[in-house]
Amino acid sequence: MKFGKRLKRQIQESLPSWRDKFLSYKDLKKLVRLISSAPAAAANGSSEYGKAEAEFVYLLNSEIEKFNAFFMEEEEDFIIRHKELQQRIQRAIGTWGPNGNQPSQIDYGKEMEKIRKDIVDFHGEMVLLMNYSNINYTGLAKILKKYDKRTGGLLRSLFIQKVLQQPFFTTDLISQLAKECESSIDALFTVAEEEQVWGGREAIKVSGEGIFRNTVQALLTMQEIRRASSTYSHFSLPPLNLPDSDLMLLFQLNSPIPIP
Amino acid sequence: MKAHPVLSIQRSSERQLSNHGASGALSSSLPVLSSTLEEKYSMLPNCQQLLMERELVNTNSLALHASLPSNKGVVGPMLASTSGFSTDLQFSSVVPLERHSRKSFLISQSSDNGASMLLTHHSRTLQSTMSSNSDCWSKESLPNFFEYPVNTPSMDIQAGSNNNGGCVMTEELCKQNDWQVWADQLINDGDSLTSNWNEIFVDTNIEDPESKEMKSATKILTTQPQALQQISSPSLESSSLNLASSASSAPNKTRMHWTPELHEAFVEAVNKLGGGEKATPKGVLKLMKVEGLTIYHVKSHLQKYRTARYRPDSLEGSSEKKLTPIKEVASLDLKTGVEITEALRLQMELQKCLHEQLEIQRNLQLQIEEQGRYLKMIFERQSGAGDLLKASSPSSLGSSSAQTTDNVPSSPSKNEPSCSRLDNGESENARADAITASVQLLSGPTPSPQSE
Repeated sequence: MKFGKRLKRQIQESLPSWRDKFLSYKDLKKLVRLISSAPAAAANGSSEYGKAEAEFVYLLNSEIEKFNAFFMEEEEDFIIRHKELQQRIQRAIGTWGPNGNQPSQIDYGKEMEKIRKDIVDFHGEMVLLMNYSNINYTGLAKILKKYDKRTGGLLRSLFIQKVLQQPFFTTDLISQLAKECESSIDALFTVAEEEQVWGGREAIKVSGEGIFRNTVQALLTMQEIRRASSTYSHFSLPPLNLPDSDLMLLFQLNSPIPIP
Repeated sequence: MKAHPVLSIQRSSERQLSNHGASGALSSSLPVLSSTLEEKYSMLPNCQQLLMERELVNTNSLALHASLPSNKGVVGPMLASTSGFSTDLQFSSVVPLERHSRKSFLISQSSDNGASMLLTHHSRTLQSTMSSNSDCWSKESLPNFFEYPVNTPSMDIQAGSNNNGGCVMTEELCKQNDWQVWADQLINDGDSLTSNWNEIFVDTNIEDPESKEMKSATKILTTQPQALQQISSPSLESSSLNLASSASSAPNKTRMHWTPELHEAFVEAVNKLGGGEKATPKGVLKLMKVEGLTIYHVKSHLQKYRTARYRPDSLEGSSEKKLTPIKEVASLDLKTGVEITEALRLQMELQKCLHEQLEIQRNLQLQIEEQGRYLKMIFERQSGAGDLLKASSPSSLGSSSAQTTDNVPSSPSKNEPSCSRLDNGESENARADAITASVQLLSGPTPSPQSE
């Protein structure tokens, strides 16, 4: 149930509109238990067993469809927003920049600030979408493994092949956009370089909700999931050692939602 | 080969439409249907290419290329076909091929309905190449085309058109979803058809949340499906027809895969037509001249575009409503400008970190699965060869697993969290490790003589 708990936590911390788009891990687990709790059925009435299996697969497929739909919607939005941001930057430089039509440091600065924030948030959302994709994949892999274990079926390896090709798992485009954001934000940050390197923790408290907190949560969850467990196998991912995990644990404070 | 699917679709569509009491309209549209279907068939590959640009793992090129991810309503219960609701007779006939057919359904599940025809066909090929390397194209193609008889609610029709055992019974579970979806494709493909279909689908433009369909589906699954079959089929029909309109507020559930290039073309077209406000979907569609793009796609995309453009604040804010606005703080005190920049920097660093880790994790996951598959193939080949020499097969398997158990302890150390180290040189050992895993996996359901 550990993964289930972590998933739940991740969902809690996630952006509100996303919360019902995650994997229904609990439901699938219940189904697997239901299936495996009737082992006699597997031997005798193959139709019973088959029916349960069918239901399981049906649920899986509908989950996948849910992921795909959500993912592709978001992706489309991201593509549009990405282009818009680029155009905004161009416009700002063209209008208020040093070589622009109406050079104005104040306006330029203000607009750039807005753009920077928007880029960072945009980048954050994309990365969170990738995280969404990944955590759902992980959940699917786990539930399939459980299924095979409990029922002795061979569902996992084949089903996972299918999953690997689903739109929600092919995050290349999003990753590309995110990288572009990273490079543009680097360029933009140097534009407005401030000398003082503050301990940004106070500011973090202010901006602590939404994307940032979600990102922190995602990283920590990832680290926890990949800790070596009893079921560590050749299909498991290696442990993850994040450099600033202590710092991140700190960011988990001030949580408005009590974390169980 | 082409004629067959066309005919089967025709026939089943005829039946379905007559079920919906639209036979009058149908008879006139049938000839149009057949020609459009031909078009559709030729268009499908394009559609899929457009939609499915990204493909990662392709071991069996043709089959997997065809077995593409879904872009619309999913055919979950296709799997159910052999196992779920079939009668004993059907089931027993399938038993020797049980695993095969299951797998083939699995692979073919989440696909376009039209594409699914090709898909199932390919999935069969995939299955057979994977297991026995035999070419069953021509033999299997015909039955496969009947596997998706495109949801007819009534049983007698299903019985008639069914060639492939259990898949019949699942049709009502496949939901007229598929039918709707398939029908939508026809709408997309031919303008000429649009008017005919619109007549028929007069009452389908009803918005309904997708979840409703899923809930009703699950409900049906949990009760006796066969008993429900006839009772629930009318409700299924209506719910699925309603469902189809959910995604894009139009009777079209095809999902378009937008790329930056496509969006560029879109923006160009919009600008040519005078900007986001003036441009009309139809105009944009015509200007873009992209195959497979429908007016519904353009409409929804245009809507998103307008929202993004003309209300950037609301867009940015919509998904982050819970964000404590930093701007408020900024207006209070100039000093906090620095804080804000710093906070942004920190946020960015963290996001970059997560991004990187996600990339790594994903690559690892892909590699793990790929190696698992590779080993499974090797294993199957090995056991296939072993069948010829019965005596040697258990011992060869036994020896290979004995060998690999030595490698097991060393596996965790090899998988470092950086992809660069998992190159081909290392993969040998990793593959050997995975042999054990696949042996365990594959020997699970069947009793095998060797010990692990």
